[in-house]
Amino acid sequence: MIPNSGDCVILEGIAKRFTKDDHVLENISLKVSKGEFITFIGPSGCGKSTLLRLIAGLLKPSEGIIHINGKTPELADSDLAFVFQDANLLPWRKSIANVALPLLLRGVPKLEREAKARMMLSLVGLNNAENKYPWQLSGGMKMRVSIARALSISPKILLLDEPFGALDEISRDHLNEDLLKIREKDLFTTFFVTHSVAEALFLSTRVIVLSRNPGRIHTTIDVPFSYPRKPDLRESPEFLSLLAQTTRALRAVL
Amino acid sequence: MKKITSLLFPIVSGVALIAIWYGIIILFKIPIYVLPTPGQIITAAWTERHAMLASALLTGQGAVLGFTCAVVGGFLLSMIMAFSLRLKKSLYPYILVLQMTPVIILAPIFVLWLGQGLPSIVAITFMICFFPIVASTTSGFMSVDKNLLEVFKMCHATKLQEIRYLRIPSAMPYFLTGVKIAGTLAPIGAITGDFLAGSAQNGVGGIGFMAITYFSQLQTASLYASGLVACLLGFGFVGSISLLHWVLLHKWHDSLIKKE
Ligand SMILES: Nc1ncnc2c1ncn2[C@@H]1O[C@H](COP(=O)(O)OP(=O)(O)O)[C@@H](O)[C@H]1O
Ligand SMILES: [Mg+2]
Repeated sequence: MIPNSGDCVILEGIAKRFTKDDHVLENISLKVSKGEFITFIGPSGCGKSTLLRLIAGLLKPSEGIIHINGKTPELADSDLAFVFQDANLLPWRKSIANVALPLLLRGVPKLEREAKARMMLSLVGLNNAENKYPWQLSGGMKMRVSIARALSISPKILLLDEPFGALDEISRDHLNEDLLKIREKDLFTTFFVTHSVAEALFLSTRVIVLSRNPGRIHTTIDVPFSYPRKPDLRESPEFLSLLAQTTRALRAVL
Repeated sequence: MKKITSLLFPIVSGVALIAIWYGIIILFKIPIYVLPTPGQIITAAWTERHAMLASALLTGQGAVLGFTCAVVGGFLLSMIMAFSLRLKKSLYPYILVLQMTPVIILAPIFVLWLGQGLPSIVAITFMICFFPIVASTTSGFMSVDKNLLEVFKMCHATKLQEIRYLRIPSAMPYFLTGVKIAGTLAPIGAITGDFLAGSAQNGVGGIGFMAITYFSQLQTASLYASGLVACLLGFGFVGSISLLHWVLLHKWHDSLIKKE
């Protein structure tokens, strides 16, 4: 699907400092349309997580404004969901209860939230794990539960911070394909962080390379491939040439 | 096979210990009022069984009541302090002061207020059990995983929801550790209470009170027997708490999960 017209998320001149004289992020401006898939890539410590947390409203910018559908993140974040680097599941809750947590906190009645949670678990391919505790799940399965939890509120905007960083390549590719499938059904705007150029290109409509100290937008790469994307896209010459181009841009900021 | 050997060791060492015990008494001709034999202790426990049982029940009652008050009070106080850092800062130093005051000094004060007998024993047990529960439960409420807090923040959870669905379950293992420590202290606390503030109701006192009586009458075998009863009471207490610990945590907590 092609992203709808109309801006959805706007960042204007964002800067973030944690102390007086560190400059974690500087002058980040970005317009993102509804349904886009934006990936931030860059060296460690360049402020990728900070940027996602700013968009999520977990942090406030030191300078600049963030608009989400015309509102500030704090007012808009009922439609926002965050998938953290670690799955961050509650160890005392079974998968289904973990997925249903955001609905529970919103006061959705038990039957309704369990039905929704079950739907989300099957969406991420975990129908059989509904009654398992987190310790009984593999890393990839935990991440799937975490994604199901984020999707349970049918978010308009989904933020994912290196969600598959700890997984092996096969699970990662699988989850990438599944994430795109889920996105086909329910076209949310996505912000994604990764260290993997291939992953970034396979998923995104736009890849944004950030430089370090201070974190700035170095290059933006538009990814022209249409959705749905097939796994063998990864081996096509166009993909590989874009991969080389992006890797060069990334090397420039390292 | 492993189970048998793990049982074998304590049995062998126990038998050896009893043999040495008898050996010393026979070899050095030690009189019964200095060191009775295990057989004499068992006999004393049996002949005095009614008094022993009554005193164990009385001490057990003091221990259970004081312990329960400490568990409930300690949990509630820790939860209140988790709500507000200011409240924690204002209260915690005085909880420490109370903990630092020796029970030996608190006991007569309780007797002045509450008189000899059960209420004072309960109060002394409470004082001994309270602090470990508050200390560990409070640190449980405070050491919630920061990442999980962010999950709740992203969900717009209220403070009350955060406490109910995040802080209480995360604090549960800490709380139960505190409860376990308090559980080992409760029978000792109650016996200390008997010792310092006990009274003989209908001629029967608690274990601590009985011990003083046996000592003053030089009934050494019975004195040892009361020690044995106190031991059994302690094991009963700790055993029931371990069971509670298991029931509440075995499904999810690392400490109790058996990984293949
Ligand atoms: N809460 C914070 N307080 C102080 N400094 C922080 C905080 N969060 C991140 N930083 C600093 O900001 C910089 C960028 O961090 P981060 O956004 O986590 O980078 P990335 O995700 O790109 O690796 C780092 O130098 C880090 O030390
Ligand atoms: Mg990061």
